[in-house]
Amino acid sequence: MSSVAVGILSGVLMGMVFGFALEKSRVFEPGMIVGQMQLRNWIMLKVFLSAVATGAVVLAILHGFGFVKLQPKAALYAADIVGGLILGAGIALAGACPGTTLAQIGVGYRDAIFTLLGGLVGAVAFSYAQPWLARSLIGTGPKLIFTDLAGIPYWQGALALAVTIAVILVLIERLRPWRDDLGADVDGNGAEKTSQPRSRLAPAE
Amino acid sequence: MSPFDKAWSPYAAGILIGLLQIPAFLIIETALGASSSYVTVGAVITGLVDPSLLNIDYVAKHIAANAKNLWQVALVVGIALGAFVSMKLSGAVRAPISPIWTRALGSPSRGLRYAVAFAAGFLMLFGARIADGCTSGHGLSGMAQLSVGSTVAVAAMFAGGIATALLLLRRI
Repeated sequence: MSSVAVGILSGVLMGMVFGFALEKSRVFEPGMIVGQMQLRNWIMLKVFLSAVATGAVVLAILHGFGFVKLQPKAALYAADIVGGLILGAGIALAGACPGTTLAQIGVGYRDAIFTLLGGLVGAVAFSYAQPWLARSLIGTGPKLIFTDLAGIPYWQGALALAVTIAVILVLIERLRPWRDDLGADVDGNGAEKTSQPRSRLAPAE
Repeated sequence: MSPFDKAWSPYAAGILIGLLQIPAFLIIETALGASSSYVTVGAVITGLVDPSLLNIDYVAKHIAANAKNLWQVALVVGIALGAFVSMKLSGAVRAPISPIWTRALGSPSRGLRYAVAFAAGFLMLFGARIADGCTSGHGLSGMAQLSVGSTVAVAAMFAGGIATALLLLRRI
């Protein structure tokens, strides 16, 4: 098989696992993502940090034994901050990120089709502006990683990050168990939660 | 943690997602990411109408029919398929629009929600392409690699998201 065929086949299979995990964790729900950004639902942070910690452990091993090269992006602070702020605003209003938009389409959320179309137009608009933005805002920068700054091997920093995240997650889980954030229809919609006590106040007959 | 469950622990799902870095690095020699695929697909479609777009180096790099570009397009298609399969196995049924939007936007109007979603998608990808990555590329992959720039981008992403959700959206 050509490398392109391998790429497409592995992409579909990996994407299916990714989409399956996004759906099972419920993190793709607009209720979870908007809830996280309103600091009242913590499932997104839990999925996100678990995946970061796992990736760090995996890469500590693969890189530590020399199986892979790291692929960090260049540090472009102005672009990272400006782009990150715009991206974050979009995530809050979409109730999705670029990957979870596809999971929302997969389960039949119709507004996600508009998010996808807006995303394609946004990516094309950026492409037209890219030659100018590259000169005026984005520029160039070094592929910096924290362990290079500290002068220690990557695997040590990656394992330290994973341990730190694990401790943080244990603490967050203790304060807010994940089942409390699911909502009655596992979509992060807290409305039912607050209406239940009210209905119980009504007389039984 | 059965495939027929409606919800898994966020930790189990997160670990499964993190493990996807193994095939990404070993097979494609890249890290998980999603937002580049929007450039690939958007530019190929727009190129049919305006071929001059394809002359921009940045675009040419993203539409080259190589394993990495097509892998990411296949990945996002796979995400939709995987979510669909998961939903069917668990029997979860979703309304056409999440019930949270009526409260978040202060209106049950579908047209309003579609307009906001389109604008949000535009912002999301315009921002992600300026920052050169999204929640996957900068978030999952960049932070796992201890990238300094990705950590700055993720902090900005959450700052922008939290400010927008608290100021522009109503409490869900």
